[in-house]
Amino acid sequence: MSKILYGLYDMMNIAAFRLNQDDQFELITLSPTWLKHFTPVGTNKGSIVHLDGIFPFLDCFVAEAFEVWEAQTETPHRSGPWVDFTPEGEEFPLEATAVCIDGECVLVIQDLGEEYYTEASRLQTFRDQALEKERLEIAITEQTQQIRRREEEIAMTLLAASGHRDHETAEHVRRIGLYAEALAKELGWDLEKAADLRIAAAMHDIGKIGIPDSILLKPGKLTQEEFEIMKGHPAIGADMLNKTRIPLLNMAAQVSLCHHERWDGTGYPKGLKGEEIPIEARITTIVDVYDALVHKRVYKKASSEQAALKLMAQMVGKHFDPALFQLFVKNLPKMQRIRQAYSEPTRRTTISA
Amino acid sequence: MSDVNNKVNAVLQKKICMLGAFSVGKSSLVTRYVESIFGDKYHTTVGVKISKKELTVEEQEVKLIIWDLAGQDDLTRLRTSYLRGTSGYILVCDGTRPFSLKVALNMHKEAREYSGDISFVLIINKFDLQSSTDWELDQEQLSALEASGIEVLYTSAKTGDGVDEVFQKLTKKMLQEHNVLENT
Repeated sequence: MSKILYGLYDMMNIAAFRLNQDDQFELITLSPTWLKHFTPVGTNKGSIVHLDGIFPFLDCFVAEAFEVWEAQTETPHRSGPWVDFTPEGEEFPLEATAVCIDGECVLVIQDLGEEYYTEASRLQTFRDQALEKERLEIAITEQTQQIRRREEEIAMTLLAASGHRDHETAEHVRRIGLYAEALAKELGWDLEKAADLRIAAAMHDIGKIGIPDSILLKPGKLTQEEFEIMKGHPAIGADMLNKTRIPLLNMAAQVSLCHHERWDGTGYPKGLKGEEIPIEARITTIVDVYDALVHKRVYKKASSEQAALKLMAQMVGKHFDPALFQLFVKNLPKMQRIRQAYSEPTRRTTISA
Repeated sequence: MSDVNNKVNAVLQKKICMLGAFSVGKSSLVTRYVESIFGDKYHTTVGVKISKKELTVEEQEVKLIIWDLAGQDDLTRLRTSYLRGTSGYILVCDGTRPFSLKVALNMHKEAREYSGDISFVLIINKFDLQSSTDWELDQEQLSALEASGIEVLYTSAKTGDGVDEVFQKLTKKMLQEHNVLENT
């Protein structure tokens, strides 16, 4: 190697080592001041230095360096900075570079000094800002959750008010929401949207609040005229819920309006067909029919699950979205767990949908 | 003297790595453990800081070479080659920052891919803030991790609580893994 290069090494306060034939590192520069803190007294140009014992970091880097030397590449390979401590506790930011010069394997170690602290300061600023951003995000998430809890409370209050007039139980509406949420999760919806559907689906019959008691609570079969009035409940519900800018209630309005629509277009109020019917409503329709069939009502006995599923299977393609029904059947164990956890009228236990 | 006794008498040197997001307290934990001090101010780590500490686990003397790796963020990714030769690692997350758990688990995955099935522990640091409103970790998620076999420990670099125990526990695991100690 040229004398100029050696001279440069000496001036730059770096230590350069040549890998000799015995795979030992020979110091080929003067020993810089910082190196003296780590090496035995008397170490200087020409000394063999056991680097791996002095700098544990090099245990790792030398393996990479050998790849560079074996490839005879002249492109320097840098280790990235590391900080080592002298036995007295003084810290030194160092960096090693492996390079092949004139066929010789050279390892250069440099005290990064101020360069390191400048970089640390730059990174510190970046990270302080990132921490602040993270704190703000946590605060926003908490506030969003708080708003969401309030929205849910409002929705559940509305639901309770409508439930006082109907024979549907609180457990029924809760189950509808949980079944729907479970299916939404299976469809890969994000958790927030699936949670919205839990509330929105539960509110599907809220429009019944606008139906006269004489019709809503009539024990026998409805006349054609009464049925026409009853058919107004989806639109009443949608009208009630559409007057806000709350996404949860807007979704509930869609569900309310369309939960009596049918896949084949024979439903009401609009006669929508197939995917014209919002998916939230298509899901609700399936779980509502299932829950109604397998539970006892004042006007009917509970069907067995097998009988209910047989009947529902006949409604696929007419009443129900075939793909969603398939998903529903696939997830029947989840539906059964929800049924058990929220059975009527026993105490419920907590489950995760 | 038996081989086992010989092994127990020699001082073993083990490399361990501290992994985690930035500002979770990796360097503070090392400083607390090695020097028994704590500074409240956050000082970012660039590259790697290497510290050494000797300890005794069940009569076996061990010299730990602790590689405190720079925390991961958008500018700094884990340089997996730093894991070369490591016998174990400590995944650190901050109990007040849920995102740091996600980062720790991602780094765990990367470490596993590079180093295989070596000893590790997951620690939730800043436990002194556990009763404050700042504590944000999802207990259910932690329970699920424990149920999956991940050992979760709680530390406070500030008070020193749990710090020595973490290094003791990891060292014991590493020694057991290398059959220096009997598995208990």
